[in-house]
Amino acid sequence: MTLPPDLIAILPLVAAVLAAIAVLVVDLALPGRRSLIVLTALVGLATVAAATVAVGGEVRRAFDGAYTVDALTTFLDLLFVAVIALTIVFGPDYLAPRNLPVAEFAIVLIFAMSGAMLLAGSTDLLLLFLGLELMVLPGYLLAAFHKSDSYSTEGAIKYFLLGSFSSAIFLFGLSFVWGLTGTTRVAEVATELTTLAAGGTLSAGLAMGLAFMTTGVAFKIAAVPFHYWTPDAYQGSPTPVTGYLSVLPKVGAFALILRLFVEAMGALRADWLPVVIVLAAVTMTLGNLVALTQNNVKRMLAYSSIAHTGYMLVGLAAWAAGRIEGLEGLLYYGAAYAFMNLGAFAVVAALQKRTGVTSNLDTFAGLGRREPWLGVLMALFLLSLTGIPPTAGFFAKFYVIVAAVGAGGALTVLAVIMVLNAAAAAFYYLRVVVYMYMRDPETEQPALRHGRLLWGGLAAATALTILLGNLQGPLLDIVGDAARAIG
Amino acid sequence: MNLDGVPILTIVTFLPFVGAVLVAALPRSAARPVALAASLAAWVASLVLVLAFSPEAGGEPFQFKVALDWIPLFGIQYKLGVDGLSLVLVLLTTTLMWISILASFRPIQERIKEYMVSFLILEVGMIGVFLALDTFLFYIFFEIVLVPMYLIIGMWGGANRIYATIKFVLYTLVGSLLMLVAILATAFSYQAQTGSWTGAFDFEVLRAATFDPGLQVFAFIAFFLAFAIKVPMFPFHTWLPDAHVEAPTAGSVILAGVLLKLGGYGFIRYALPFYPDAAHTFAPAIIVLSLIAIIYGAIVALVQPDLKKLVAYSSVSHMGFVTLGIFVFTEQGLQGAILQMVNHGLITGALFLLVGVIYERTHDRTIAKMGGLAGLTPLYAAVFGFFVFASVGLPGLSGFVGEFLTLVGAFASSPIVAAIATFVMILAAGYLLWMFQRVATGEVSDFLRGLGPHVTDLRPVEILTLAPLAALVVAFGLFPGLLLDLIGGSVGSVLGDIAAGGPIRLALWP
Repeated sequence: MTLPPDLIAILPLVAAVLAAIAVLVVDLALPGRRSLIVLTALVGLATVAAATVAVGGEVRRAFDGAYTVDALTTFLDLLFVAVIALTIVFGPDYLAPRNLPVAEFAIVLIFAMSGAMLLAGSTDLLLLFLGLELMVLPGYLLAAFHKSDSYSTEGAIKYFLLGSFSSAIFLFGLSFVWGLTGTTRVAEVATELTTLAAGGTLSAGLAMGLAFMTTGVAFKIAAVPFHYWTPDAYQGSPTPVTGYLSVLPKVGAFALILRLFVEAMGALRADWLPVVIVLAAVTMTLGNLVALTQNNVKRMLAYSSIAHTGYMLVGLAAWAAGRIEGLEGLLYYGAAYAFMNLGAFAVVAALQKRTGVTSNLDTFAGLGRREPWLGVLMALFLLSLTGIPPTAGFFAKFYVIVAAVGAGGALTVLAVIMVLNAAAAAFYYLRVVVYMYMRDPETEQPALRHGRLLWGGLAAATALTILLGNLQGPLLDIVGDAARAIG
Repeated sequence: MNLDGVPILTIVTFLPFVGAVLVAALPRSAARPVALAASLAAWVASLVLVLAFSPEAGGEPFQFKVALDWIPLFGIQYKLGVDGLSLVLVLLTTTLMWISILASFRPIQERIKEYMVSFLILEVGMIGVFLALDTFLFYIFFEIVLVPMYLIIGMWGGANRIYATIKFVLYTLVGSLLMLVAILATAFSYQAQTGSWTGAFDFEVLRAATFDPGLQVFAFIAFFLAFAIKVPMFPFHTWLPDAHVEAPTAGSVILAGVLLKLGGYGFIRYALPFYPDAAHTFAPAIIVLSLIAIIYGAIVALVQPDLKKLVAYSSVSHMGFVTLGIFVFTEQGLQGAILQMVNHGLITGALFLLVGVIYERTHDRTIAKMGGLAGLTPLYAAVFGFFVFASVGLPGLSGFVGEFLTLVGAFASSPIVAAIATFVMILAAGYLLWMFQRVATGEVSDFLRGLGPHVTDLRPVEILTLAPLAALVVAFGLFPGLLLDLIGGSVGSVLGDIAAGGPIRLALWP
């Protein structure tokens, strides 16, 4: 039996939905078996990854060009699977002591992943919007996962209101583009816009559409000044969810940017480049400045994730200024950021296994002595976030800076702003290291016992953080292919 | 000695790393001997390197080269090579390293495993900086140095250690990140000229290339900031006294002995050959800054009440001679600068060890509380006096040769500069001898008398750490040719690069 080509293209998506359903069924049949649920979820995710690899390797256009499997789709899908697998692995140690269900956690995450995967492969404006919504809706649920906790609920409501608001703005912008080009297919939009852009000045309608879409997307990636929901949503959410929220929706939104701004509206790059440059500079500077003053580690990481958004935008700007390395750097950064940030949040979550422990800096006092392994790993993730070689975070920053310096002109100034920001960021990342190794705790706490799952997940995140900083070759080939697929 | 087929440079660089892994894996009680063994092994390996190195290898400045592709996409290589300049600095590093580790055996009792791992990783970074022949690799090693030093000051330092260590990291990081941008801009400029990434980070290729004045000015300023902060030059020196005062003794030894040299080395190895025109353009300003550093460091050292701070400020003054010697662009000046780097490493390293010895016994470093050590601890006072005179620049000891050559080189370029710098040497004699007089001579102070039997003379281990340094100070003082022969080739090639350049006309409104 041969499957229809359209179905083959979306096999990974089908596998994702089936995996979520499988977890649901296992939870119904054998309630309360946490390790079995995690096992089912991981097997399901492995199947999705296998399907992604099997389907990838050649360009497939399905559903009349609305959905495309290319190198970018494959790369992003695999990244999403890895992110979700790590999040699920980090979850139970935090959720169980708080009597929060693991099965629902896993199911919602896998559904969110299917949304992100749809987004990554969409080459149709409406499908892009659909994928975006599928990806962020489960996020609102997750933010409110600790429903008896008022901070969790408050953060979730803020996230939900601003999230729906920005989706509406984005959709409004899309309607302009559709109205002016008469099509929703990305490839056709690109051709239409190329002829429109050749005329020189932008028509008022197109400018409006561009402005609305930029605003909507800026909300999703938490770029300044559209970032106000982030700290509350991040701090209020259960810690494993915060790790997830800071990674998957952000990388997913960058996938949207790649499909929309690069692939569909690449012709208008001269018009959106100045906006992106300003957005990048303001985002990283403000994110870092506010992060400097935080003494809650979760909130600090939330603001620092805003700064990382700024660094990634530098890559986008470099592409718009004519450097393909900008896209490659952006994708490399996405992968490196995902693993080091998830790792850092996992350590915070592991410390909060004992209920009632806050994520304040004091929690980390003396950690290096109390739990040497967690201390060393946290130090590694923080050094990587700072961008100290030889870690993934360093090479990612390096790659983005390479692109920006190569583009020259205003982008060189942006690169200098970026490295100054990275130096400022060292202060607050290293402050956590100071607490872990150079301060003694006010009250001695006994060390916690952590599950094997957590250690396994941390080992994976650590290995990737080190590997991406030293053996760049394989991933460079992959992001190179992915970038060329659209740029 | 024939070392064909032996990756000796990789071995020298990564032996301490093997040691670090072993220290981390073995139990706590093994930390001290294993760390010492690893640093001694690296020292022996570097001695083998010295014996195998041939100063007169015709035409080929770098020996024992290894080059492996690392990130082929950008032409980035794992490329190491050694010439006379890097050889003497590697030897300085490995020598000071085992001495520092040995000197830490008694003072450091807490978290000894972490301490030794930090020191050994630090050694990897420092040796790597001197041996790297790829700008990207150089940057990586340059940054790796930062983390262990941050931990050493922050974990085993004095009362105000956290402020000091964060200040140290932030200063250094700002400089080095700007240098990264400059490294990339240079690589791109090369790629734009040739259309290929091959060699865009390769030191030997870039040295032969020429860059347009705009890039040179920008990149030189960025490199200058990174290295001027490391050296440290006035007015980028303010992190140094804090870091030195708070660091544990061995940390100060390495900081003064090796880390400051990364700056001087960076100027000679990268900034001058890559951007000769910009170097000519900015040389007058840098000479003025060097003179200010020499004078300012000396004057501030004069009024320091704290022994360690005094030595720290004397470093600012002494390192001013290094940058002065580099930027007068004469053979003697450059030779003097390199000699001064080595000698400052040996002498100031020894002075910090000696300050550590007295601090360990009295838990105080205030000069005013000391007095009469010559009667109480004669051997200590004698050794202290020896290194003080070496630091003053007494002829016959190594400190003299470096400063003398620097001044000769400076005189050839500008007599006024040389005159000012020479005048300051009187100040140096002033603050060092006055300090020695207050500490060692006269009546035994009430403070020391109150401590009674705690104030003991040098222990055998302490003699073992100081004796090699004293021997080298005498050897290099009497036979500077030992060093000058080694570095001759490096000096000649740098001067050749510099001679190819000329000042750029800077106009604010082109």
